[in-house]
Amino acid sequence: MTPVLQVSNLRKSFGGITAVDGVSFEVHEGEILGIIGPNGSGKSTLFNCVLGQLTPSEGEVRIDGKPTTGLRPCDLNRLGVSRTFQLLQVFPQLSVRNNLILAGQEHQGTMASRLFGAADAGLGGAAAQMIEFFRLSHVAEEPAGSLSYGQQKLLDAAMAFMAGPRLVLLDEPAGGVNLTMLASLRERLQTYHAERKATFVVIEHQMEFVMALCTRVLVLAEGRVIAEGLPQDIRKNPVVIEAYLGH
Amino acid sequence: MNRLGAIAFACTIVLALVLPQFLKGYGIFLLSMWAVLSVAALGLNLTLGYAGQVSLAQGAFVGIGAYTAALLMQAGWPYPAAFVCSALLCFGVGWILGYPALRVQHHYLAFVTLAFNTLVFLVLRNEEWLTHGTYGISGVMRPVLLGWSTGKPLAYYYFSLGMMALVAAALWWMLRSPWGRAFVALRENPIRALSLGLDTRRYTLMAFAIGSSLGGISGALYAPLVQFIEPNSFALALSFNLLLMVIVGGSGYFFGPFLGALIAVLLPEWLRVTEGYYLLAYAAAVMLMMAFFPYGLFGMVERALRAMRLKRVPPAPTLKAERTRP
Repeated sequence: MTPVLQVSNLRKSFGGITAVDGVSFEVHEGEILGIIGPNGSGKSTLFNCVLGQLTPSEGEVRIDGKPTTGLRPCDLNRLGVSRTFQLLQVFPQLSVRNNLILAGQEHQGTMASRLFGAADAGLGGAAAQMIEFFRLSHVAEEPAGSLSYGQQKLLDAAMAFMAGPRLVLLDEPAGGVNLTMLASLRERLQTYHAERKATFVVIEHQMEFVMALCTRVLVLAEGRVIAEGLPQDIRKNPVVIEAYLGH
Repeated sequence: MNRLGAIAFACTIVLALVLPQFLKGYGIFLLSMWAVLSVAALGLNLTLGYAGQVSLAQGAFVGIGAYTAALLMQAGWPYPAAFVCSALLCFGVGWILGYPALRVQHHYLAFVTLAFNTLVFLVLRNEEWLTHGTYGISGVMRPVLLGWSTGKPLAYYYFSLGMMALVAAALWWMLRSPWGRAFVALRENPIRALSLGLDTRRYTLMAFAIGSSLGGISGALYAPLVQFIEPNSFALALSFNLLLMVIVGGSGYFFGPFLGALIAVLLPEWLRVTEGYYLLAYAAAVMLMMAFFPYGLFGMVERALRAMRLKRVPPAPTLKAERTRP
């Protein structure tokens, strides 16, 4: 079966520094792959290379078997690849509802048909469902910028799912979120995964979150893969412990 | 639009229709100028206010539109055809001017567009074989449309007002479509917009092109209004004045440019009672306005209304300290 995401021998250098050094992995349909590693291990650079924000120095990325290396992020999104960002990236002056409609509208028809079509691009119902699913109904008409940090994190995640993506890459979804909101976010992601058989790749520092959410974990250190396996095995892996604790 | 906004809107329309009946020639001319420049300011508000692309070239597009219309009419073209050509030419040139915006932003983009404005001014001044240079083009006729002559000031005012209303309605409709949301996304967070499938390149070019074409339309209305055009009218001062209209009215507010244009056209006239000091008084008024109302007059009104609403209905308690680390 063709993997949803296939990364082969990916390398990214910035001058003399190699941030990602020959990383290869696959993600299959319905999997939740966690990518962990100490600060500076190349996780975000890897993400940005996969998502078209950076052009890899070497190697190849394939989505559903099709080469996508060097494609622009908007073209990747139209292929069904969606993402969240490490730092909050919502549109603060648009309402929660409009943030969600915006997140899906470019998948509806052509640019010209969107100009002459419905104001909500036919996504009013889908946005309402997503608002309900992520429990944002009470703030649906508020500007996103006026929401609390945790609510904005939920909105950020909801936006990534709005177009019904085939693959979602979540960059530190738990970053800066308190424990209550974190549990809510994890539970929403698990429910979405169970209902839609969605495929996730998650970068995260919060180990409990990773262990509870992911079906497989990949560990990076100094730009290389040092371990890969089930969460419970990774937790006990001495190479991983040494990379994290440095002894 | 809430009830208060609807009442204000209706009153403005009635005033715009009735007031000129009681004005003399110069008053009607000023109101016509307001309608004409509002169209250019609407275009700049789209490019700058909604899509977040700094442009100091809107005056140049008014110039291109005005010269295109005037030259084509002198060559015997009917006004509607000249009008459409002005808009299309500015759309095309605006599209090309949008390309630098794909590479540079903010003050760098401001300088690119400023240089373009200077370039257009130099072409209008130096290419005498085409533009008649500093002598300008005089005797631009006001059109006769379906047997209705717009030659008299009042008739031309109503024609300008109608064109402004048509442009505003089309823009309102576009901004309510997914395109409007996309333009705001471009302004607020282009990286996130790109990751959500928005072709930011195409929307940036489109924002420049549509905004510029409105500048062209404004120019095509301007030439028959003043009936004499020359390069100095379209130098940098006009671009700065249009920018002032957008900022003072409220950048990114749909009705901001109308109010901004009204102030920029009328305030200098009202301040003429100060005789030689009117420019000083005008500059001071603008500086005070920017210092105290940086979001423009519409931004100020919106904030005041929001504060009043919050006073009436206190917000529901929310969870505090949800963010555990920066």
